[in-house]
Amino acid sequence: MNDKVSINLLPTGVPGLDALLGGGLPEFSFNLIAGNPGSGKTTLAQQIMFSLANSDRRALFFTVLGEPPLKMLRYQQQFAFFDVTKVNESIRFVNLADDALQGDFTRLLDRIVDEVETHSPGLVFVDSFRSIVPATERIRGGPAGLQELVQRLAMHLTSWQATTFLVGEYPESEMETTPVFTVADGLIWLAQSVHWNSMVRKMQVMKMRGQAQIPGLHTFRITDRGIHVFPRAIIDAGGASQPPGEVRMAMGVPRLDEMLGGGLPAGFSLLVAGPAGSGKTILASAFLTEGARRGEPGVIAAFEKSPKQTRSRTLEDLIHKGQLSVIDTRALDLSIDETLYELTETIRRTNAKRVVIDSLSAFELALAPMFREDFRESLYRMVTVLTGMGVTVLMTSELEDRYSDLRFSPYGAAFLTDAIVVQRYIEVRSRLRRVIAVVKVRGSFHSNELREFEITDEGIVIGDVLADYEGLLGGRPTATATRPNALDGTPSTLPVESGAWERS
Amino acid sequence: MIQPILEQCVEAGADAKAVADVGVRAWERVTSQFAPLIGEGGVDALYARSLHLTRSTFPWLAVPQEPRQTDSPYTDLKLSLERREPNEAREAISALLVTFAELLTALIGETLTTRILSSAWANGGPDENAQETLSNE
Repeated sequence: MNDKVSINLLPTGVPGLDALLGGGLPEFSFNLIAGNPGSGKTTLAQQIMFSLANSDRRALFFTVLGEPPLKMLRYQQQFAFFDVTKVNESIRFVNLADDALQGDFTRLLDRIVDEVETHSPGLVFVDSFRSIVPATERIRGGPAGLQELVQRLAMHLTSWQATTFLVGEYPESEMETTPVFTVADGLIWLAQSVHWNSMVRKMQVMKMRGQAQIPGLHTFRITDRGIHVFPRAIIDAGGASQPPGEVRMAMGVPRLDEMLGGGLPAGFSLLVAGPAGSGKTILASAFLTEGARRGEPGVIAAFEKSPKQTRSRTLEDLIHKGQLSVIDTRALDLSIDETLYELTETIRRTNAKRVVIDSLSAFELALAPMFREDFRESLYRMVTVLTGMGVTVLMTSELEDRYSDLRFSPYGAAFLTDAIVVQRYIEVRSRLRRVIAVVKVRGSFHSNELREFEITDEGIVIGDVLADYEGLLGGRPTATATRPNALDGTPSTLPVESGAWERS
Repeated sequence: MIQPILEQCVEAGADAKAVADVGVRAWERVTSQFAPLIGEGGVDALYARSLHLTRSTFPWLAVPQEPRQTDSPYTDLKLSLERREPNEAREAISALLVTFAELLTALIGETLTTRILSSAWANGGPDENAQETLSNE
């Protein structure tokens, strides 16, 4: 027999918040929602309230000072969660502005207690708590008096079995000293950070007694549906159930599979780098189409300007058939976590095996400026989380047409990924030709050849190794003596020459 | 919703004092339903605005009387109604209530306003007839 009390966890109804809180909101907990003006405190409180309130669990929402209730009701109604039919049924709004204006905190507390005893609510909200503090400090001799009152409120509401939220504006400097923070079981901090012209909302669960909350700052967004939190993905040390590399994924480009040493190992991340127009997106499409053919659903996050226009008919068909899901990337000021959240949710929902991010360059532009600074670190986290789920990831990266050096990605993504395929333009006899090479496949043999390829109606067709030229990566190859016309013929289907292999 | 209630409340041939009495009670019942929601301050502000708008038709409405009576915030309203013809008094208090409801509708939406207004009568209306009128609508 287990004599220990078990704490019931309530689902908050705010997407992403339960995960942040370590599973949900502990019932009968005494919580504080704090933050600057406009950071979304009231919205968060009401979203939780409308989600949790029902005929068995009624809610009392005390409006004290601060935002006039007329305005609050007017604006909060714009959110989808605001269910008017619950007002005066399971939710009761009580305005205490007059008591607060008189600075009579004891009377205010009595009013709250009276209402709580009359209505036996399961949920109590006081908005905004901060606004009554100055009055208290005048009357009852500063923070000590306040602490006593908050203690009484906390004790009273807990013994009346009410899950309570105090909503308050607190400048960050007061975080350490305010007694309310000591009393509270849970402390949710909301903030807005402005960086250049963009604004990013962040949430932090600074305290949640008895819960393993996810530490750190997490981005959230407020839309007409309310608040949506995107918990910062923490890399799961457990990783994938199956070590990557045992199964190989066909790329949909036959000779590329050969070059990769038999396909791309499942659970690997592949970077396809090349200049504009070299066929990166076409390669990514072939990868997804091949997956669909083999019953492996795909997800694509396309960050190009107008993904719909650039998407091929084949991909549109796959989307239509439900074999390919698209991540909505229209919103700007994105955070990596928001994108990663959408990706992981879609992967779980559709049991996807293949993920394409097209392209990293456009993705970086879609991010809020503040996230660009640690793009590399975030990218590493994203790749690790995705491959940890067992999916195979293909990312494209724009490569500058620079022939003086060999670079694969401006983000150092080359070192983050397990495999790299590079595409280049070369000039041969005043014609622009394309070559492709496998630069790296971690822990696997792969071709080290530079092979010519063409983009036809059927997609990418890889031809022969350009054995008789040198200086290809410089962009202006010169013919060696033996086979001067090697580039003039049509692409052949000869097998990869033996001896052209190496191990990454 | 408001017009028929008042018509039912005030019997035909009632004098202005009776009209004022019932009218102000209806007003108090309505505002008391909204006070917890929007606060006394909110109600006062909306009362002032409603009066201002209604006075374009009934300029005499709730004009402060001397000596000032302070027992109820609506004493001036009641006294001004008592001094008019019963029909005119009824029209004026109806107009005030309708204006108040319209303001609320504009600010917090029709659904919520109707919801709260309904509870003003559901919790025991000015009289039983009024309740029937409401439920018959």
